[in-house]
Amino acid sequence: MTSASPGRPSIDPRGPRFGAGITAVLFLVIVALALLGATWIAFGLSVYAAALFAWGALAGIQRHPYGLLFRTLVRPRLNPPVELEDPAPPSFAQGVGLVVTAVGLALFFVVGPIALVIAGAAAFVAAFLNSAFAFCLGCRIYLLLARAGVIRARGAAAA
Amino acid sequence: MTDPRPLTTFGRMDAGTTALVLAGLVLGATGLGILHRATQGRVRAASGCRVVSIDGVELGGRATLLQFSTEVCSPCRATARVLDDLAARTPDVAHIDLDVTHRPELAAEYRVLQTPTTLILDGDGAVRARIGGAVRRDLVVAELEKVLAA
Repeated sequence: MTSASPGRPSIDPRGPRFGAGITAVLFLVIVALALLGATWIAFGLSVYAAALFAWGALAGIQRHPYGLLFRTLVRPRLNPPVELEDPAPPSFAQGVGLVVTAVGLALFFVVGPIALVIAGAAAFVAAFLNSAFAFCLGCRIYLLLARAGVIRARGAAAA
Repeated sequence: MTDPRPLTTFGRMDAGTTALVLAGLVLGATGLGILHRATQGRVRAASGCRVVSIDGVELGGRATLLQFSTEVCSPCRATARVLDDLAARTPDVAHIDLDVTHRPELAAEYRVLQTPTTLILDGDGAVRARIGGAVRRDLVVAELEKVLAA
């Protein structure tokens, strides 16, 4: 029995957690810069973070630049993964990150730099928990949306 | 570089205060993580009052490991492997993995707030225990033995 659904590529679960670690540090920097008054640098880094989230969500976590970094620099130094995982959950989590960051960027024009601080802090907590504790916030949100009937089952997965 | 809009909502913080805020964020997130880790896989006994009956689902003769999953859930797969294996080794014990994306009404009915959530049912389909998060094999085995012995 394989660890992923048939027909879906499998990834090393440590890859997305490595990427989430970089993302967590990035959001700490964003929060710090926004608090210190370096507003436009914080804004620029938030745009960068949003662009990477969009990349991960749309192209899939396998094609995320941090994943490439992980495969070329980190994974050769580690033992082979105990099990592989489906790329769908971390790709969905990237979408959640995109929404949080985009809301922060949009609210920045309404309420000012505090929006970058709050969105950055929320994104930091999610990325940190993912990286350090393998907690998947996106999975919880997905479940709540599915419960509310917002997310409908995909036909291909009905088997 | 000057900011185009004044910082009306809060003043510019000094480095010390900023460092405190960052430390608070890291500590707070670590606390949440430790809390999360402590609750994962913990077995909570249930009263046994609730009897599960789901259309199109055949329960095991002596016990059932009823798992709620979603497609976007990595620990669900690891949990499914453990429960599948246990069910295969134990006669008359079934493992059922339900995707709540397909049956959202079940997620509401059984108050599933995280996936995987696993219910351990006895031979009558009564809920004996509930496990939130990825299961720990030893804890499931111990609980299953209790249910089978009852």
